[in-house]
Amino acid sequence: MNKYLAVFKINWENALVYRLNFSLWRVRSVLQLLLVYFIWFSVFQSQQRIFGYDQSSILTYILIAALVRAIVLSSRVMDVANVINEGSVANFFLKPISFIGYYFIRDLSDKLLNISFVIFELALILFLLKPSILIQKNLSILALFLLAVFLGLFLFFIISFIVGLMSFWVENSWGLFFLMYIFLETFGGGIFPIDILPSPYSQIFLIAPFPYLLYFPAKIYLGTLAVPELVKGFFILSFWIIVLYFLMVKLYRAGIRQYSAVGH
Amino acid sequence: MVNQVIKVKNLRKYYKVHQKEPGLIGSIKSFFSRKYYDVKAVENVSFTIDEGELIGFIGPNGAGKTTTLKVLSGLLYPTSGDVSVLGYEPFKRQSEFQKQFSLVMGQKNQLWWDLPPWESFILNKEIYEIPEEQFKKTVEELSRMLEITDILKIQVRKLSLGQRMKAELVAALLHNPKVLFLDEPTIGLDVLAQKKMRDFIKEYNLKFNATIILTSHYMGDVRELCNRVIIIDKGQILYDGLLDDIVQKFAPYKVIKADLEKEVDEKKLSGVGEVKEYRDLQVIIHVPKDEASKKAAKLLGKFPVADLTIEDPPIEDIIRTVFSKGMDI
Ligand SMILES: Nc1ncnc2c1ncn2[C@@H]1O[C@H](COP(=O)(O)OP(=O)(O)OP(=O)(O)O)[C@@H](O)[C@H]1O
Ligand SMILES: [Mg+2]
Repeated sequence: MNKYLAVFKINWENALVYRLNFSLWRVRSVLQLLLVYFIWFSVFQSQQRIFGYDQSSILTYILIAALVRAIVLSSRVMDVANVINEGSVANFFLKPISFIGYYFIRDLSDKLLNISFVIFELALILFLLKPSILIQKNLSILALFLLAVFLGLFLFFIISFIVGLMSFWVENSWGLFFLMYIFLETFGGGIFPIDILPSPYSQIFLIAPFPYLLYFPAKIYLGTLAVPELVKGFFILSFWIIVLYFLMVKLYRAGIRQYSAVGH
Repeated sequence: MVNQVIKVKNLRKYYKVHQKEPGLIGSIKSFFSRKYYDVKAVENVSFTIDEGELIGFIGPNGAGKTTTLKVLSGLLYPTSGDVSVLGYEPFKRQSEFQKQFSLVMGQKNQLWWDLPPWESFILNKEIYEIPEEQFKKTVEELSRMLEITDILKIQVRKLSLGQRMKAELVAALLHNPKVLFLDEPTIGLDVLAQKKMRDFIKEYNLKFNATIILTSHYMGDVRELCNRVIIIDKGQILYDGLLDDIVQKFAPYKVIKADLEKEVDEKKLSGVGEVKEYRDLQVIIHVPKDEASKKAAKLLGKFPVADLTIEDPPIEDIIRTVFSKGMDI
């Protein structure tokens, strides 16, 4: 067995110890989804079309965003911060294993667990509420959707790892997490599609990395993005991945240097 | 030819600490202009250690022991000086080097808290790329030596401190490290578990010809395990040599223990030396080192003595003298 496969496995075993915690957390995300779902549902009781969306496409958007959320947004950024703060990051400097690689694998492992649950939850919602949703059958759109999810996963890992690394310099980085989650919830697109905002605002937000985590893939699924928009979107997404990746590596090296000089 | 496994020359390690002034104004001020000062944790330390040696590294709190071990393990960069372990520069953190040593800190842990030790062992097996056969053999052997065979499948959080520390030690030794840094491996253990741990360390040292540096505040550990000790205080080495020699050299007094046949006046006994204890016809007297035989003779001549021994003071006392006299001795 490869060492990173072993990390993947032990992470699952560990998650299964916390069945209750895990279930409660899933319940929370289902409730959150239902809340957003019903808000949009009631908005459409009086109107046919709002901000260019009809009921079916907005409900599809919300459900797909929930699926993407389970894949893209799961992060051990808190762990990374704690491990740095309490000094057990030393384990990674003593052993032949990479700190970044280790947490990336643990993230992947979490994601796989999440996906299996969220598919079940979505199936249940579809069965019980029977919303009229859009089933995307265009294979090239589905392929682009998967590609966007995949890139989004990298992007979010990098963003959250950067926030975690801040603990090498800041003693209490709780405020930073908070800020990250605010940006995520507001501009990520999990609650509403970014393009319902008036044009100058939505155009500005679309330059930032956050909309590429949920909004962009969900929007691709709907199939309403024109080719130039798709090209622009993938360009900005890749741009952020590359830039932030180098920033992460630089910060990591600086963090080790800081740690090794100052101690923790 | 003996192989020098660890070489340390003129090692200095200063921690840069930024000064925090009290109060809000102070915080704001130090936010804009940080004042740094150096904590000189290790100050010009040199020593070499041969293959297979088991060294006691002792000194009071804050002496610089843990800092030195962290530099030797590659966790900290030296501020200046040369450090070589197994021919590697530790802070380069090469994996060939990492596969050959282990740092065990009594207060740090690597086992997964919610899983049995066994699962963490498997993870380490993969991380260190230990062959299946060797892994099985090592786990079996080490857990038998430490008597923890039956707890390997129990959640770590349910283990006692002693069981956990033993399991931690096994986890750290799975890859058969040639060099071992043990930072207070017996801290918090009861007398029995301490003994077990010591026996284990000794056995490991002999069996694998492992080079070991051990720090401890329990002189029992040092007395039983180490021939050679390095005494460090305020970042500087006060003594490096045989433990036996230190007793010869620095024991400030000898201890005379005598059983008396009948009750005598304690005041008269103090004519011999400093009476430390006098109870149930048994007396313990401290006398200057070079007058021990003279004083013993005096005691035998003047008092009804049934039995008498002359001993060295406990090692704790000797070490304390070394600490308190500092560099001048
Ligand atoms: N991360 C750090 N930042 C600043 N100063 C530190 C740091 N770690 C240790 N020191 C200081 O360096 C000195 C040596 O500490 P060290 O931990 O090496 O001592 P020690 O000999 O292991 O002591 P103990 O027996 O208490 O474990 C102390 O004065 C300590 O306060
Ligand atoms: Mg220490």
